[in-house]
Amino acid sequence: MAGLKLLKSLALHDDKCWSVDVNNGGIMATGSTDRKIKLVDIRSFQIIEELDDTAHKKTVRSVAWRPHSNILAAGSFDSTVSIWGKDDDGYNDENDLETELLAIIEGHENEIKCVAWSHDGELLATCSRDKSVWIWEADEMGEEFECISVLQEHSQDVKHVIWHQSLPLLASSSYDDTVRIWKDCDDDWECCAVLNGHEGTVWSSDFEKSNSNVRLCSGSDDGTVRIWCLEDDNGEYEQEWIQESILPKAHTRAVYSVNWSPKGYIASTGSDGRLVIYKESEDGWIVECIHELTHGVYETNMVKWVEYGSKDVILLITAGDDGHVNVWKFDEN
Amino acid sequence: MSEFINENPDILDETLLPSRKEDITNELFGDALGKITHERKRQLLQIGSVDSPVLKNIGLLDKLLNQQLSLDETVPDLTDIETATESDENTEEEEEEDPIDAQEIYDLIAHISDPEHPLTLGQLAVVNLADIEVHDTNGKDKMAEVIVRITPTITHCSLATLIGLGIRVRLERSLSPRFRITILLKKGTHQSENQVNKQLNDKERVAAACENDQLLGVVSKMLSTCK
Repeated sequence: MAGLKLLKSLALHDDKCWSVDVNNGGIMATGSTDRKIKLVDIRSFQIIEELDDTAHKKTVRSVAWRPHSNILAAGSFDSTVSIWGKDDDGYNDENDLETELLAIIEGHENEIKCVAWSHDGELLATCSRDKSVWIWEADEMGEEFECISVLQEHSQDVKHVIWHQSLPLLASSSYDDTVRIWKDCDDDWECCAVLNGHEGTVWSSDFEKSNSNVRLCSGSDDGTVRIWCLEDDNGEYEQEWIQESILPKAHTRAVYSVNWSPKGYIASTGSDGRLVIYKESEDGWIVECIHELTHGVYETNMVKWVEYGSKDVILLITAGDDGHVNVWKFDEN
Repeated sequence: MSEFINENPDILDETLLPSRKEDITNELFGDALGKITHERKRQLLQIGSVDSPVLKNIGLLDKLLNQQLSLDETVPDLTDIETATESDENTEEEEEEDPIDAQEIYDLIAHISDPEHPLTLGQLAVVNLADIEVHDTNGKDKMAEVIVRITPTITHCSLATLIGLGIRVRLERSLSPRFRITILLKKGTHQSENQVNKQLNDKERVAAACENDQLLGVVSKMLSTCK
């Protein structure tokens, strides 16, 4: 029977921890209502750095590493995005340098809910309570950002954005109960599908890490996790997506975060504090394991599979309202 | 506020608000209770020093009980209840917290001021004891749930969201984090019931609202009558 074991509980923040991300160098970044961003070495669990906490005047809601780099984006309720990195002049050992503020991106009218880099690291998507998604083109240094598209078709707050791992596709989840899929059409980003089905705010979504299928899972305030599948892509603007299944009900309250692992597992977590792992079998999706009270009696805001390190060790990290980040080992057998 | 949205709300007299007057000890001991506590206090005075925290608690309890004994001419003052509870916790930290019931939730929120009337939510019957649900049966290390259904004074009251936010903030600050709080408008009491409900129970929106100084100022003012 598969199981989850708590490896480490890190008391990093004085208030809700909303977001966590690990880069390919094993550095974990976290964001919190205490307005702080912390960097932790996932191997030693030691705090490496606390970034300048005067950069944001309100909650740091979302953090994301640019792929294959030491550049971090952080979105805040103060409606700005900060970009962080090491200004390496080629002489110093990179590890000795302090992480500096490289840029502050302004544009959104109010709270930023999520930031996400495209797989090639060239584009940054940001979304806000102002109902819009902005796509920014970044220079190599992470210092210049040009807005190339503003997507305004959601009728309410946009809660979450995520890019496909290889295709030029973006998914946005919203308070309007839908997920929208956006596609690059001759340098303009167009909405090519609206996924209707959830009966409450969609808090997050994630694409399957597969090159053969294009599927998306989504977690909602309605307590369900749903799988959507791209049925038909005729190369034109519109795509046909269908709701393939609803995963077996394992949550009693809102699902705040879903994450699809490279091996095909889906993890979900939320207000009930449960961490649930699902697996696809011949008879459809099954619940592989449920772990209760992942952050004690607090809510769990985010779950993420960690791809760093040995291929045999599967790690998950969760962020909770207790200000902790927990590191879990997932045992497949 | 330049203009009242609801100028003539129905007002309940403070004496009619539900309180713990049905307490069993009260019924059993009646007037004798005052004498009993006085006697206990006298005995304690002989054993302990005057500054003993236990003694201070007895004093507070006496005050509290006396208010109840005087046949509920007033609702027990919340400040006293809270001070008493706090000192209890200070002296007996090992003790488990008391189970929370609907009356306790009511006591926490009934004294919140209405944003446009110089009256409390209890007096305006925006919050009612019968519309509070508490599910807390799994033990102290498990999650529990509080559901409060509020009745806005008029169906198009634009302040319903603000009132709901005030109640949520009050409960989040007072209750253990194991409580999941749901604030709903009572069915059929508001034109945009679903919209207001969705907003009041969106964790992220509430968190952002609590970082809005202006909004927080209004909420603090509403809550100032609680303490």
